[in-house]
Amino acid sequence: MRANFIFSEVWIGLRRNLTMTVAVIVTVAIGMALLGVGLMINAQVSNMKDFWADKVEISAFLCSKDSPFEACKNTGGVTEQERETLRQQIQAMPEVQQVYYEDAAKAYQNFKTQYGADSVLVAAVKVEDMPESFRVKVKNPESYTAVMERIKGAPGVSNVVDQKKILEIWFSLLERLRWSALAVAFILVFAAILLIGNTVRLSAYNRRRETGIMRLVGASNLYIQLPFVMEGMIAGLVGGVVAATLLIMSKVFLFESVGQYLGSSALGWNDVAWVIMLTMAIGVIICVMASFVTLRRYLRV
Amino acid sequence: MIHFDNVTKVYANQNRPALDHISVDVDKGEFVFLVGPSGSGKSTFLRLVLKEERPNAGAIHVAGKDLARLSNFKVPHLRRRIGCVFQDFRLLPNKNVYENVAFALEVIGKPRRFIRKVVPEVVELVGLEGKAHRMPDELSGGEQQRVAMARAFVNRPMILLADEPTGNIDPATSIGIMKVLDRINRTGTTVVMATHDAAIVDSMRKRVVELEDGKIVRDQSRGVYGQAY
Repeated sequence: MRANFIFSEVWIGLRRNLTMTVAVIVTVAIGMALLGVGLMINAQVSNMKDFWADKVEISAFLCSKDSPFEACKNTGGVTEQERETLRQQIQAMPEVQQVYYEDAAKAYQNFKTQYGADSVLVAAVKVEDMPESFRVKVKNPESYTAVMERIKGAPGVSNVVDQKKILEIWFSLLERLRWSALAVAFILVFAAILLIGNTVRLSAYNRRRETGIMRLVGASNLYIQLPFVMEGMIAGLVGGVVAATLLIMSKVFLFESVGQYLGSSALGWNDVAWVIMLTMAIGVIICVMASFVTLRRYLRV
Repeated sequence: MIHFDNVTKVYANQNRPALDHISVDVDKGEFVFLVGPSGSGKSTFLRLVLKEERPNAGAIHVAGKDLARLSNFKVPHLRRRIGCVFQDFRLLPNKNVYENVAFALEVIGKPRRFIRKVVPEVVELVGLEGKAHRMPDELSGGEQQRVAMARAFVNRPMILLADEPTGNIDPATSIGIMKVLDRINRTGTTVVMATHDAAIVDSMRKRVVELEDGKIVRDQSRGVYGQAY
């Protein structure tokens, strides 16, 4: 009886305020979807950071015969002795985990696989143009700069490239995307709270006869307030379901297409499921809280 | 049953008190008329009994409870023991007679079986047998007030408050309404009725409490309406 009664009241309330309810659902859905996208980008960034942390290397390129770099001017390329000294020097560093040598032929091979064998770029480049290099792996990501600085000045080294720098451009782009998604989500959540407030106020006004009688015959506060709070909750829940659909779509169409370049660091479905559950919970909680707070103002008990 | 001790009520933004140091006692099973011109404080009295308003001074006891010490949380339980009838009936227009009466029990969480048993009894008590499935707008004013009384009484309250229940009803029909109130009173329910209707007060010969400008000017058992004038 109780549940029956409350659900029929909730249904009547939602139907009477259909346009407002739809407005609440749409706002909550978009707000929560953007919040979810923000969280998914977050998960993606941390996935990628973990993935790349043990793959990022420092590349110390060595002078070739006609290297344009300032450090190589008039040297005529790195000598056998310089190369050996450098290798020993790098291996002696306590921060270094591993170092290996990549000669010009190997570099050309990598270059070719990266750009495709029949590309114009590959055709224009000869094996002799490729620089030989030392690839250095560091035990601890924090010591990158220190190691780099020490290699930089060594004789025979043309330039030092830190792959982390390249990744960081990526990360900062993702970070900016995440913050803008979260900022818009925040604004929409704010709008949703105001909308819910208005919906509840309308609902309370529409049902003032019923609530007046309920008060009079001694219905408990919970009983009077529950239909209103449930209206908010159901709007939040439906909004959450729509948001979940949007998030699944964004995973399929957005993250999946980026993910194919990321290998195992791509966002998994378990991350998405977690994000969906979190955004749904947040959406429902926000709706319930907003309903409850406005009820205190517009429904005298 | 209702005990007012030196109660004063001043509404915000008003200088003159609505009730001015009122002391009154209503015993269990009594029938009391509250008479006096508009603005004399009759409605304020009833609202204070329901704890819809708080007094500025003085103490109120209803059904053995000190209202000042009754937490907001418990106010609904107080109101379950008090039935209310108003001049404007306050029925739900989209519910029929049965549903209007049942509503009062549904919202305090009574089981369906209990409601099915009790509602028809009360509908019969107020003289509406056979009309349980009529909508309020298909009923006369007197019949609508009977529905309101059925709703007020269906939970067997200890006290029934009636705020000018015959105010919108012609004199002939009013007699029927008073008969129902008398019937309810005879079950042991305390009835407090605020009214302007001199004929009714005179015919019933019950206790009369007269208010004027928030003060009690007369409290008389087996009284009539206009004696003080």
